This record gives sequence, C-alpha cells and structure tokens, in this order.
Amino acid sequence: MYRWLDERLSLSRLNKKYMRKAFPVHHSFFLGEITMFSFITLVLTGVFLTFNYEPSIRLVKYMGRELPAAYASILYIDSLPFGAVLRSVHHWSANVMIGAAFLHMLRILVSGAYKKPREINWLLGLALLGLSVVTAFTGYSLPFDAFSVTATQIGYGIGASMPYIGEWVSQLIFGGEYPTLHSIPRVYSLHVLWFPLLLLALIGAHMLIMLKQKHTQPVYAEKVAPGKILGVPMMPQQGFMMGVLFLLYLAVVFFIGGSWIAHPVEAFGPPTASTPAVKPDWYFLWIYGILQIIPGDLKIPLPFGAAMNSEFIGGVLVPGLLGIAAVLLPFLDVRKTKQRYMELPTRHPVRTSVTFALLTFMLTTSLAGWKEEFGFSNGQLWTIIIVGTLATFLVSYLIITSYWGQAPKGEAGELEEA
Amino acid sequence: MSKKTDTTRRAVVGATVGVGLGLGAISMLFPIGALKPKKLETPETEPPKDGDVFVFAEGDKKGSEVTFDDLPKGGPAVLVFPKDPKTGVVKSGERNNLILLIRLDPGELSPETAEYAADGTVAYSAICTHLGCTVSEWVPDEGVLLCPCHKGIYDPRKGAEVIGGPPPRPLPALPLGVEGNQPVCAGGFTSPVGVVAGLEPQGGSCAV
Repeated sequence: MYRWLDERLSLSRLNKKYMRKAFPVHHSFFLGEITMFSFITLVLTGVFLTFNYEPSIRLVKYMGRELPAAYASILYIDSLPFGAVLRSVHHWSANVMIGAAFLHMLRILVSGAYKKPREINWLLGLALLGLSVVTAFTGYSLPFDAFSVTATQIGYGIGASMPYIGEWVSQLIFGGEYPTLHSIPRVYSLHVLWFPLLLLALIGAHMLIMLKQKHTQPVYAEKVAPGKILGVPMMPQQGFMMGVLFLLYLAVVFFIGGSWIAHPVEAFGPPTASTPAVKPDWYFLWIYGILQIIPGDLKIPLPFGAAMNSEFIGGVLVPGLLGIAAVLLPFLDVRKTKQRYMELPTRHPVRTSVTFALLTFMLTTSLAGWKEEFGFSNGQLWTIIIVGTLATFLVSYLIITSYWGQAPKGEAGELEEA
Repeated sequence: MSKKTDTTRRAVVGATVGVGLGLGAISMLFPIGALKPKKLETPETEPPKDGDVFVFAEGDKKGSEVTFDDLPKGGPAVLVFPKDPKTGVVKSGERNNLILLIRLDPGELSPETAEYAADGTVAYSAICTHLGCTVSEWVPDEGVLLCPCHKGIYDPRKGAEVIGGPPPRPLPALPLGVEGNQPVCAGGFTSPVGVVAGLEPQGGSCAV
C-alpha cells in the first residue's frame, strides 16, 4: 500500500524533506501548537453548531414561547445530547486560542524572535491575533440573547465612532444599525465562513514560512552544538508529542466545558428593552476599563465636522496604536545578520521591562473594568494605571540590570526599541 | 529593429492588461455599493410624533398604554415605546424609539426641563449617547439615570445632562403634553438619538 502510494506521490521524498524537520525542545515552544489545537477544535465544534443554528432574528414559537429564531436554536442546541458541552467547548476554545496566541506572541517578543529574517511571520502572527479577536467578537452576537445583543451594540458603537468611515464600516459588518433583520445573517457569514477561511490561509502561510525559515534555536543549543540545528524530528517524536498534547488539550477543555456551561443563554434570556449588566470576556476587559474611566468630554476635532471622541480614543486609538507599535517593532529593532538563537530576556532589559510594563497596563486597565464593584474613582484608577505601568518598568529594569548587568556591547540587539 | 518591435509589443500588452484590470477594479465598486444595507421604513420604525401615546416596553404591562397613575412619583424611570393612537401601531420596530418616562416633583426641574415636562413628568431617549446601550438603571438614592454598560450617569431634573461617566452629551429630551390622564408626545426629540458617530457632538437643536 505504502509503495503503491509512494510510486505515485513520491511520499518518501516528501517524508525526507518535511517529516524530518527538527523541532527544538523547549516548553515555551508549545504555545503556538496549543493555539492551533484550539483552532482545530473550534472548527470541528463550529461545524456541529452550524448544523443546528438558525441565523435569523424573526420570532418563532419554541416550547410555547415566542423567541427570536437564533435564540431558540441555541436553546435547541443546548437540549441535544452533549449539545451544551460542545457549545461550551467552542466558547472556551476561543478563549484558549486568544490566550495561547497572546502568550505565544509574548514569547516571540521577549526572545527577540521577530528580528530578521522572521519579520514577515511576526506580522502574520499579529494579523492572526487580531483576526482571532475579531472572529471571537462576531461570535458574541450570534446567540442573540440579552447579553450578546448589548455587547454587540457596544462593538457597533465603537466601530461607528471612527471619524469619517466609522458609520459605514459598522453598517457594512453589522448589516445596518444593529440589530436589524440583516445583522445576524451577515455576521453569521463572516463568523463561520470568511474569517475562518482567512484564519486558515494565514495559519498556512505562518506554518510554511516557519518550515522554510526554521525555528529560532533555544539558547542551550548554541552551547551544545554551535551552528547546528538541534531538535527532534517532526515524525515520529514531535508528532507523538503533539498528539499527546492535543489529546491533553481536548481532555482539559472538555472537562471545563462539561463542568461549566459557557454563556448560559437560558439565564441571560432573550433580548429585552432594558440593558443587562454586561462585562466582556477577559481579553476585552482592558478596553472596557479604559472606556469607563476616559473623560466623556475628551474630543479632538478634525476637519469637515468630524471629531475623535472618547469612544474612538479608548476603543480604537489606544489598541490601534499598540498594534502599530507592534507592526513597526521588527523594523525599528533591527539586526544585520540573520538570527539563529533566541535572545535571553535578561540580556535585553529595556525590551523585557517594556513588555512587563505593557502587561501591567493591560492588567490595571482591566481592573478599571471592575470600577463599580471595587468602588474606585476615575482619579484613583488613572493613578494606579500610570504609576503602576511606570513603576513596573523601573523596578523590572533595575532588577534585571543589577542582577544580570547591562547588555554586553557589540552583541546584536543592543539597539533596543526607542 | 526586432528589439524595438519587442518593446512596442510589450508596451501594448502591458497597457491592455492594465486598462482591463483597472476597468475591472472600477466595476467592482458596484457590488461594494450593494454591501451597504438598506434601511426599511415601516410604520413601526417611524420616530415619535405629536399626539403619540406611550406603551410599556417590557414587564407585565408590556404593550398597554401608560397613564400618569402608572408612573411612580420620584422615579424609577419607566421604559416605553410611542404608539400612534389613530392606527394603533406601536413603534417598537426601531430601537431608537425607546423612551424613558420619569415622574418627578415639578419644583425640582430646571427651567428648560420644565418647558418639555408635563405635570412634572419628563421623557428622554433611552439610548445612551456613549455607545448605544439602554439607560435602564435607576439610582434611587440620588434619583438619577445610570447606563449599566460603562456607568454613564444622567440627571433627569436638568435636561439629562451628564453628571458622571463617559457619555459625550445629554440624552435627547422628548417634549410632553397631557391628553386626559395620559402623557403624550408633543414634538420630536430635541437632538439626534443615540451614538452620533465620529462627529462633533451637537445638542440642543430642536427637531420638529
């Protein structure tokens, strides 16, 4: 059988070329794989959901109640054997995908792996992270319960706050002033077809470039065998580890999905005239926090009667500027030679401290999302955010430089991001 | 000689392909234009107008007409939709028609607010000017309106001006009149309803 296929498809050539690819062994190298496992899980559970979901907000009779068809179909999915579990696994996997992709990005960031020759893959990775978040957000609106309608409305408003183009962009994505009859079919098409296809294409490109350029090597590889590529081959060793990790991932996420139902639509109820108290998922909490404490009268006028108002500044400009900084990073922090080995975070105190400061910024702005519960005032929260972020940078910089010393001059990478 | 012919041929082929692609790209603008959704106007989506009565938007009395006796004195606010009394159409097909009715002490109202009020009852758009949530919470201690999404606070006694949180401008007011025992609509909203996206916030201009 193998020989029959081999004669026609030259399997052994393929095997020799790709299946022996060396995978460096380091625990931080599994984050990207976990991102991919969660994507596969999302596609598979998503297929199940599309089989039963009805993308419409027209009222239907379901179990004696008059409900929007989309909402009723989620109740139907939850009533199927394992239906609620599969839906929960879909939800939690989306959380894992975004979390793992973010940690994967942090690993690349602190080890300097975005530098030449891997700038393209850094950009693709950023696009993947952004698109994952957008895809997750479009998924929010589909159950069409009181919670998801409110959350999507806020997203619509943030999009519409962009000067000049905002209204058009938001109406394009949400099919008019959300919610209209056309909103759900449009968001559904984006969520189950176009965004996943785009994600798949970007993941494919990300993988191919990684195969072509090879991983950055962990630091120990330079000591053990300088100039050589260390690692275990894709088949069988790495493949076996990936298989085990995938099964472990499935076990954990099914345990969570089976124990905690995600987004309980029955409890949230169908959309109502009043607003339920909503909090976004954790990966939006920092934007939500900024939106709550930003002064409402903050606005920067633009020509032709447009203005950048506080919704735009908090919801689009702050995340957008961080994104632009990330895009520019590999072109500002450059090196002449191709990078083979990971950089030690302790050898790059500025970059590492900026990363820590950024994390503090995101955590403290997320804390602002709990403003009401903790009873903080805006002034206190701004103080915590600004002082916390700066203090984190300083403390981290002082600790790193006093324990490990300054980055040795001459080593590539002394040109830190300005 | 032959080299020159080659260059000309290349130029012609290049120009042809370029013009073809360019025209193709321009023709793509038509389907892109079709992506912009069309707003459907029905009697249910019309804005409130003179003489409209109000019906409860939620709760046990959903759909029944609001009288002054239904409104608790000093709040909380009641969520209502306008209803055309002649055709009997409830204008609930448009979210921007959600209205807050609040019965307050007439003596507490600011002069401008009193102009729009009827017997101490005031009406405001229920759509938060920040990001379009329904301003559906009532803070009993201070007697103010709270949007639960990003904690915007409005004072219904002073033309729903923003006294806390991120909203950029007050809630639009809806002038009220009296018809028997019922509050009725006496004009349109005083400013654009909901999120005025990416524009200089404008308020106060009275739409009729």
